[in-house]
Formats: sequence, structure tokens, C-alpha cells
Amino acid sequence: MIHGCPEYLALSRRGFLRVAGSGAALAAAASAPAWLPRVALAKDYRSGQRDVLISVFLRGASDGLSMCVPWGEAAYYAARPTTAIARPDSTNPDRAINLDGFFGFPPGFAPLIPAYQDGNLLVVHATGSTDSSRSHFDAQRFMEVGKANDATLGTGWLGRHLQTTSPLVPGSTLRGVGIATGLQKTLVGGPQTLPIPNLDNFGLTGSTSSRIDRLSAIGDLYDLVPDPLHSTAQNAIDTMALLDQIEFANYVPQGGAVYPTFSTGVAFESAAALIRAQVGVEAIAIDVTGWDTHATQGSGVGSLNNLMSQLAQSLAAFHRDMFATTAPSVTVVVTSEFGRRLAENGTQGTDHGHGNCMLVMGHQIDGGRVLRNWPGLAAGQLYENRDLEVTIDYRDILAEVVQARLGNNNLSTIFPGFTPTIRGVTL
Amino acid sequence: MNDTTPAVLTNTPGSKRSPSPVPRRGLLFGALSSAFAAATVAARAEPPEIAADVDPSSLLNRLIARTSFGFTDAERTRAAQLGYAGYLEYQLNFAAINDSAVESSLSALTTLTMAPLDLYNVQPATISNQLTEATIRRAAFSNRQLFQRMVEFWTDHLNIDITTDQSRYIKTVDDRVVIRGNALGTFRAILTASAHSPAMLNYLDNDASTRISPNENYARELLELHTMGSDGGYTQQDVEQVARCFTGWTRGSGATHGQFRFNPSTHDTAQKIIFDNTPYRRVIPARSASNGELDGMDVLDSLVRHPSTAAFIAKKLTRWFIGEDAPQSLIDSVAAAYGTGDGDIKAMVRRALSPNAVASASPKLKRPFHAFVGPLRSLPTVVNSTSTLRSLLDAAGHRPFYWGPPDGYPDTITYWSGFLLPRWNFGASLLFVSNGGNPGISGIMVDVSTFLDGLDTVDAMLTQISDALFGGEMPPAEKARIGNYLAVSFGSQIRQREAIGLAIGSPSFQWY
Repeated sequence: MIHGCPEYLALSRRGFLRVAGSGAALAAAASAPAWLPRVALAKDYRSGQRDVLISVFLRGASDGLSMCVPWGEAAYYAARPTTAIARPDSTNPDRAINLDGFFGFPPGFAPLIPAYQDGNLLVVHATGSTDSSRSHFDAQRFMEVGKANDATLGTGWLGRHLQTTSPLVPGSTLRGVGIATGLQKTLVGGPQTLPIPNLDNFGLTGSTSSRIDRLSAIGDLYDLVPDPLHSTAQNAIDTMALLDQIEFANYVPQGGAVYPTFSTGVAFESAAALIRAQVGVEAIAIDVTGWDTHATQGSGVGSLNNLMSQLAQSLAAFHRDMFATTAPSVTVVVTSEFGRRLAENGTQGTDHGHGNCMLVMGHQIDGGRVLRNWPGLAAGQLYENRDLEVTIDYRDILAEVVQARLGNNNLSTIFPGFTPTIRGVTL
Repeated sequence: MNDTTPAVLTNTPGSKRSPSPVPRRGLLFGALSSAFAAATVAARAEPPEIAADVDPSSLLNRLIARTSFGFTDAERTRAAQLGYAGYLEYQLNFAAINDSAVESSLSALTTLTMAPLDLYNVQPATISNQLTEATIRRAAFSNRQLFQRMVEFWTDHLNIDITTDQSRYIKTVDDRVVIRGNALGTFRAILTASAHSPAMLNYLDNDASTRISPNENYARELLELHTMGSDGGYTQQDVEQVARCFTGWTRGSGATHGQFRFNPSTHDTAQKIIFDNTPYRRVIPARSASNGELDGMDVLDSLVRHPSTAAFIAKKLTRWFIGEDAPQSLIDSVAAAYGTGDGDIKAMVRRALSPNAVASASPKLKRPFHAFVGPLRSLPTVVNSTSTLRSLLDAAGHRPFYWGPPDGYPDTITYWSGFLLPRWNFGASLLFVSNGGNPGISGIMVDVSTFLDGLDTVDAMLTQISDALFGGEMPPAEKARIGNYLAVSFGSQIRQREAIGLAIGSPSFQWY
């Protein structure tokens, strides 16, 4: 009774064959592009008025004063003799790109200019967490959990969003994906949520002839045990079948977009393929590492600018692919645990600071501007006399996106103990 | 057909979270749910007293599981002979354990013993790969298993990413001198060695920190990650003072390339005060530049003696052996074993692994390295190359020395429980053999013929698998399901191999 037909049923029980075998799916498969999964196409995401959210975390505390350069501030240049990015009107070829007469993008962010000019990209400055921690690990946890210094809160804000909203596609077996080997804290607690480092390689190895048999055995073995392994195993089995039907390697970006081949670019391209497949994924977390620039970060050229350029190329390809075409509606938020000190240190780098900037990109984001309540960088204007002040709580931005773009009003659950100020980041 | 019962495999919805039947000693599955619940809820109940029904051989199994990467017949026999306390002392007294077999298998890995200057003439990939191979072989085949698990602990605690700058050449020296040289010594010794490690000083930017502009990176992580913990009671001012104390702690050049060097000319000689307005206030006096290294030594001394350090190290070490829900009373007891002087690591380990603590500990989730190395140890396995295994560890997110940030690989259920596929694939690949006779993980062959030699029933094979991989305590329900898999084409070695692979991917093998 264990092998043969029951195994088919075992897999079917977990959800995917039922979908794949439906008449609608077969009909759709006949006309769909080759890389699309042979499953029933969900209703148009866009018509649902709910975005897919991509949460990008810059691990290591990114230097917001390089990502969005306050070139109108003399104090910025005084504090950073070797690491400041030159004013847009300077003769330095590696100068800032003017945005609004006060702020500018670093040279590495040049690929983001079209998204900014199209009004899809919003920069928020002097933002972050008001908690004073300068520990990467505490501050990342606090920000991903959505509340500082609360040991009782073990889930992430995006995980709680998924908990408190109905699936975008009913019966979806995969709602949240962390492009990582360990699930990002942001997504912890989300139903049907898994860490998957490489979406194009998520299958069982070993003999193909025994694969279904072995998968059935694994499913049964994990049916015997409690969570967390019970749920993650069943999710993994369902997801294996789901992802097996999306040919990520043959994904054809739209709008002439070309994704960079380094890991951040691959992550965004996979995310685009997954979103276009409309299999019900509604939250994706992507990490970008390398931002802890204590030494030799460079200025308009150098290691930090290269890192910013990689981020910008990836975001720009995603924008080109997903925004000028009939793709599902998407919002991307880019955050980091805290910013870096105004004054550079003796090793041409910057130590841990406080306020930072965020990027928000979306079809329905009121972009093309730098949203700020700028505190200034002069003496007397700094947080603890050394850092950019936080004048806009990062949760103001996230809460508005959750409410207006993800259609979830349970803000007191998602950001407990916090009353957001709506800043008008969405259209 | 065979005589194993498929009855447990009916998957009614109600059975999913109340598994049945309960394993023999009633521990594993019942405790699994409580382990996770306790780990995810801040309030923790006091542990139960040692269960009266824990039989001695099961307790010995648990001691072996907590102190090794996997069971072997030899260790189980030795533990039975020495008894609980005797076996723990045997493993703690690691230097007396003959480990020549595994060490001689490393003789071709010449960079393991190479002087720093010579390492700079070797390709970084060679150095990294040799260190990784040695780490895998030692974990799998060393008789000093508790020592190897402590090496793993300190490698995370004093993490250095081997892909960064100087670490590419000299992390292997840090592994040799700092980690392996002090893994079961004193905390003072390992911390002091780490502070003098050029790989660490480079990784955390202290090698460029000067009087004019000190760099806070090492100072902050020294306080936050290496000693006191982020809630240990230090301030931003302390970070800045400590950074000034360590100015001039750098690495040499020329003939001393890759070695520690104190550079008096970049040291800040002025007075510093740490832990001001606390009972641990210490004035580090103005000193001549040539005596400036004493500043850092003063800081290390204060840190080693600070009660926050004892508490932080005790908590991390206790959780390492016992789990995230280790009771505070046990952590306090381990902190007391740290003492007030140098931090006695053996005394802490002995206390953390006391019989009551191990008997009442919830199962702990193996990390991928642990889950992958264990079967090499427990099954008759010939390892000729670890390069493919290294790639599998990478894909699972747990390649040794590849964690970027300075906090080391996580040790939590939440982090590691999401990505199960590599664990299933490891079992599948380890036991796979192609039609051409090539193993699924190149360079690593499990001798299944020997392992199952003479066993002519499904039950006999299951008993053998359980004895080797589970210390004889594989849960009956898992045995039954894998028995069914075996029975489908009993006698097929391919099927037997796949069954062993499934056992390695099974839920209970992920815990220890």
C-alpha cells in the first residue's frame, strides 16, 4: 500500500499535482512561454491591487551618506577628506549625480537614474531605527523583527504580514522566499515560506528512477514529526514540484533588460521569473553583503562605489524588466541596520553610525524625489555629536507600503507598539 | 512483502503533530516540539530533574552524541567501559588520546604546518582547501571528538572569513595557533592569542588603527562578540577607549610578514579609562610607546575578569552542548565554573555536560557540517577527496570558514530548520553510485557491501543502520517506513543504498 499509486496520491495530497493536472493548466501550457510553469495562471496580480514585495537588506550597515550624497552640506566634505563623493558641479569625473539641488547619487548609482526619473524610485533620507544600538547583529534583528529590544518577539515583520493576510493566490504552496540558506529574520513566521538560495536548483539528487519513491518516503517520514521540520519539509516537497516547472535558466527578461551575473543580479532575475510565473509568491527577501566599510571604502571610485554599482545594476535591470511591461505590480524596499559615522576614520573608512537612507521602488510609489526631514550635518545637528540623526522611522515607510500596497491593515500586529506616521510614499 | 508494519504510515491529519508510536525512551519526538517551543518563547520553564527512566546506555549515547560528530562502535564500547564520568574525562584529557591515524592522513596537506612567510608563496585556494579538508577529516575521523567539537565552537566564536584579504593566507595559522592551541585551555589564553592573531587583526581592521584615527571595528567586536555580549554593560565610550588601547596592534612586514607586530609609533600613549562609573573601572595609565602593548593586555585582563564575560561565554557554551533552552540555573553553574581568574574551559565543559544536564536536554538540531560529517564517521567510508563535499557544504550554507560577518555561523533551530533539501540530498548523493561505479560525492565511497554483509532480513538491516547512525535508537516509525522502502526490492544493493540515504535524511538524524 505504500508504493505505486498511493505515492502519486501522497504527492497530490501536498498540493501540486492537483493544480498541474487541471484542465485550465493544460490549456494555459499550450500558449505560455516555455519558461513558464505548466500550472493554472493565477488571476492578474495587478488587478488584485496587491503588490509582490521584495525586501532587500544591505548587511553590514551601508553608508547612506554615499548612497545619497548630501552634496549641499559643507560639513559632509569637512568630515570626509578622502571618502566624500565630489559635488555634481566639480571637475572630478567621479562626481555625484545631481538629484534635486541638494542630494545626489554616487557614480555607481547611475543605472538607477531612469527609475528615478520615471518616478518609480523613491529615496528616503535620515531614516532608520531610532534605537541607539551600534551592534550589527542586534540592530539587524531589531529591524527585521520590526521592534527594538523585545526578546519575546521571535518573528519578522514580513512573516507577520503573511500570517495576517490571505494568500495572494488561494492555496498557494509558496508565499514567501528568502534567497538564502537560512531564512532571513524578516520572513520568520511566514506561512508557506522557505529559504531557497538557488531557485534554479531545488530538486532531489540521486537516481531519477527512484526519485518519486524516495520523495514519498521523505514526505511520510516528516509527516511523523512536529514542527518546525514537519512544515518546512512539506513546504520543501511542494516547492520542489512547483519550481521544477519554472525554467529559470530560460527566463527571458522583458524591455531589453540584462541582469548582471553576480549574485545580486541572479537573485533579482530569479525573483522576476518567480513573480511572472504567478504561482503565489508574494514576499521575497534578498541579502546583499559587504557594506561594513571600516577601511578603504573609496569615494566616487573604489570598493563601496563598486558595491553600490552592483546593487544599482541589479535594481535597474529589474526595473527595466518589470516596470515598462505588463508584469505583476511590485514594490522593492532596500534597508540596512544603521548608517555610518559622518566623519571618516583613519583608515579611509567609516565606523558604525546611526541614520541612513532607504530606497523604495514600485509601480505605485511616489518616487523621483528624496523624501526627508533633513536634520543637517553641522555641529549641534548630529546624533550623539557624531552621526546623522534619524528623523523618519523606517517603520513609517514599511507600514505605509504594507497598508497601501500589500493591502494589510493589521499594522499593530506587524509593527507592535508603534504608531506610524504616514509619509506619503505611495501613490 | 515483509513483516514490518506499515500501520504507522497512515497520514491522518490529526496524527501530524502527535506522532505515534513514541520512540522507546519517549524522549526524542516529545522533546522536539518542546525544544522548539522553548527556543522561540522567551519565558523558559525550569528543566525537569533527571528522568528516572533514562537508562544508562541511553544516557551514554546522549553523552557521545553531544561530544562528537557521530556514533562509532568503538566509542560506544569505550563509553560503556569507562562509564559516564570516566568517558567525559577521557575526552576532556584529549592530549592523552592517540590521534596519529588521522593526523598522518593529513601529511600531504603541507600548508597546515607552514610558517606564515611561506604561506604567502602558496595560492590562497590551496591553503583554504587544505584547511577545510583537514577540518572535515579531523571532525570525521579524530578520536579526540570533544576537542574537535570545541574547535568548531571557537571557530565560530572567534570567526574569521577565510575569503578576506590576509585571512586567505593566514587563517590557517589562526586555526593552528589560536583555536586548536587553546580549544580546551583557558579563556584568557585563547582570547589573548586571538588578539595577537594577525588574521583577526586584519579581518577586523585593527592592523590599520592608529593614534591619529583609531578604527573601532575590532574593539567593538572584542567587547560585543568575543567577551561581554551586546548587553554586557559596556558603552560607546568604552569602545572608543578600547580602540585607543589597541592602536599599534598590527602585523609585520618583510621578514615578519604575516606575524603579529606591536608598532609603538602608531600607538596612543595617553591615559585611557574603561568601564568608568562601574565597579570594573580601570585606569590604563599613560605609558611609554615601547610599553604600549601593555594597554591591550590590561584591557584583555579586565575583560577576562568581568562577570559579563563569564556569563556570556557560559551561556554560549552551555547552549552549544545543551541547546537554546538550556536552563539559566545550568548557565549560572557553568559561569561559576569559569572561575574568577582565567576562565577554565574544561571545568565549564564538564559542568555543562553533567549527567543531569544531558539527561534533561532537549534534542539539538545538527548544523549541516555536523549532519554531513557524521555519516562519514559512522559508516564504513573511504575518503579520497573532499572537494565535492566542500561544494555541498557551500550549497547548504555551512562551508567551514566561509561565514562573512564576525559573529560566526548561527547555532539556532530557527536559522537552520528551513533548508532541509541539502540534508536529503547529502544522504542521497553519499549513497549513490553511478552505473560506471562512480560515487555520488566524488572521492567518497561508502562500503555498503561490508556494512550490510550477511544481513538477510529487512529487520537485520534496519538494526544495523540504527546501531551505526542512531546509537541503536532510531525511532520505530522511521524504521518501519524505511523498512518498507527496503522491502520493495529486497536484495537490491541500489535499494539498500537508497534506504541508508533516506535514514541520513530522516528527521531524527537531523537531531542529536
